Amino acid sequence: MKIGEMKQEDILRIQAWMDGELAPKEAARVATLIEQNPEALALSEELRVVENALHLGEKPAILDDSRDFYWSQIERKIDAEEPLLEPYAAPVLASGNLLRWMVPVGSLGAIVVLMMNYGAMNPQPQPSTPGITPDAPASTPTGLTEPAGAMEEQNAEPGGMGVINFQGSQGSRHLTDPEDPNTLPESIENPDR
Amino acid sequence: MAKKLDIPNADDEALVRSAQRGAMPPYEELVHRHRDKIYARAFSMLRNEDEALDISQEAWVKGWQRLKQFKHNASFTTWMTRICINLCLDFLRKRKRKPTSSLDQMEEESGGVERFMPVEQFNPTEKAEREELRAQIDEGMAKLSYEHRTVLILHEFEQLGYKEVSKAMHCSIGTVMSRLFYARRKLATLLISLKKERQK
Repeated sequence: MKIGEMKQEDILRIQAWMDGELAPKEAARVATLIEQNPEALALSEELRVVENALHLGEKPAILDDSRDFYWSQIERKIDAEEPLLEPYAAPVLASGNLLRWMVPVGSLGAIVVLMMNYGAMNPQPQPSTPGITPDAPASTPTGLTEPAGAMEEQNAEPGGMGVINFQGSQGSRHLTDPEDPNTLPESIENPDR
Repeated sequence: MAKKLDIPNADDEALVRSAQRGAMPPYEELVHRHRDKIYARAFSMLRNEDEALDISQEAWVKGWQRLKQFKHNASFTTWMTRICINLCLDFLRKRKRKPTSSLDQMEEESGGVERFMPVEQFNPTEKAEREELRAQIDEGMAKLSYEHRTVLILHEFEQLGYKEVSKAMHCSIGTVMSRLFYARRKLATLLISLKKERQK
């Protein structure tokens, strides 16, 4: 008897039914197919025979190496790999990571604080050129030309930079507008060029 | 004071619990008890003694490294066998040794030549001795491609369902089903031809 005429789908369903992989409704449908179709029945029988043969078990495989030799090789591999694993679990590394980040962040914080307080800490500069007197208002008891808060507000306005405005320091240097297509390098504007 | 473990007479669970606390001698005892089983599984999948020996030892090393993850839900040997199978699958994927795979794949996709062969009936318990039949199965399994052999091993010997096999082999359930069918038909044909050969 041949199973060549059976649909591949039905063949796989029969196998799934035998393996107990089908839902109850589908299983009932396949059971009916096996009852009614001799090809399906023959296929299921053959699959059962193979399954029974396999259930006799596998041919045992025995290791030739002695117990001690086999274990010594495993032990050596364990010893070789363990030192590599330990440092990852060490808590020292966690604090090391923390310190690595804290140093630059702390330094940056200190610089920001210094800059913020620069105006308050810096006394009124003495004129270095004789004959030129600063027009400092007499009403400022600290001797500053302007109160520190007013200085910050003034600087914050035009450049939007907050405490320090670098606009003046750039002077008249010409900076290209990054969004202006005329200023884009050729390679970016047209990569095919 | 904790009672000292009688290693040779302790059961697997006691040995595993002791090893999970970092004791190496109980683990050594576990290796001695189950090394043949783990080696046999590696050999059945790889069909090469040296590779099976290496992979089985690697499985024991991995077992030690991951021992704390073992939750005692299954037996220790089942857990170790799974580690071994995963290592074998990784090894086979890397090696990609497929001497007959292209032909097998073509046949598998088209339904296989086995579909057009007559359905043979044979009874393994009638004439063949148990050991002889095991040897025949072993011979037949060796002739299968590793994909077909692996799917049979996982499903028939390790009792994994289609879904678990597909997960382990990184393929679809449909592929598992067709590989399983092809492997069974091919094994049936091989067993019949081996039987006929020995009867001559």
